[in-house]
Amino acid sequence: MSDLALVFGVAVITFGTRVAFLLRPRAAPEGRIGRFLDVFPLALFIAIATSGLVAPWGSPELIANLAGALGGVIGGVLFRRSLWGVLGLGAACFYLARALTG
Amino acid sequence: MFGNASFRKGARDSVLILFAVGAFGVAYGVLAVDAGLSPALTLFSSVIIVSGAAQFAMVGLAVAGPLPVLLAATGLGLRHLPMSARLADIIESQPLLTRLRLAFILVDETFGLTIRAHDAGVEDVVAYKTAADLMLYSGWIIGTAAGAWFVSSIDPEAAGIGVLFGLLFLGLAAPMVKVRRDWVVAAAAVVATLIATATLPVAWQITTAAVASALVGMVIDE
Repeated sequence: MSDLALVFGVAVITFGTRVAFLLRPRAAPEGRIGRFLDVFPLALFIAIATSGLVAPWGSPELIANLAGALGGVIGGVLFRRSLWGVLGLGAACFYLARALTG
Repeated sequence: MFGNASFRKGARDSVLILFAVGAFGVAYGVLAVDAGLSPALTLFSSVIIVSGAAQFAMVGLAVAGPLPVLLAATGLGLRHLPMSARLADIIESQPLLTRLRLAFILVDETFGLTIRAHDAGVEDVVAYKTAADLMLYSGWIIGTAAGAWFVSSIDPEAAGIGVLFGLLFLGLAAPMVKVRRDWVVAAAAVVATLIATATLPVAWQITTAAVASALVGMVIDE
């Protein structure tokens, strides 16, 4: 699959999910399907974050990565789950740990 | 619509979004070019996808192949379904083209602003969201172009952009953790990802971990 086709594919999927209930208004899924839809984005975001921050065990910067992850979690708690709190404190801890560990 | 009070309020309320999304656009531009996309295709992707999460996932998972990218885009898109239903509820009957336009930029940031404005009694919700969408879209496009063409001299690894990418998704997840079930899902996703990383091919790690932990969330009460 070419890069252009991949971009189109992602665009079609993204727009398809966005327009689903605006094209023909109807009730959102409920019950277990609704719960799955509710929690899937959270599960996916955490999986991607874990993969990038913690999972690469062989990474020479694992300690700095873990410090960044820990800082991000603390930032989320301190700044009431703010995206910028997570990014700011996480990045600060990562760069500090990287400087300290060489 | 462009001159009414709701439109002006939408523009004012989203000034911060313009700059914040612009900064993420720069990061996306740098990462996408580093992942092998041409600057023109990088910009085009921002023009037609308009989803930071899907686009960052696309470049982050590019090495795993197209199937994981499309699965991730589908998974990330699932969160739009309840947003789409809620927006349809508050805009009531609108022409088809208006509904398509509002759907095109149905993103977390302007959706959140629009819901808040609706609850606060803004008169013209469509005009308000249109203004917020225009601000966000401008920031995203300009930021992407700047990152793709003018900031590509930065070495993403040396700059630690990969870690910022992980933190970005952690930050996107943070507001979603509200009840006990969310904490369980988040913990399950960490464990499942570590297991998947050790046992599965790259192409299946994130998708499998996300589905498994979402299934955990599906069967437990809040």
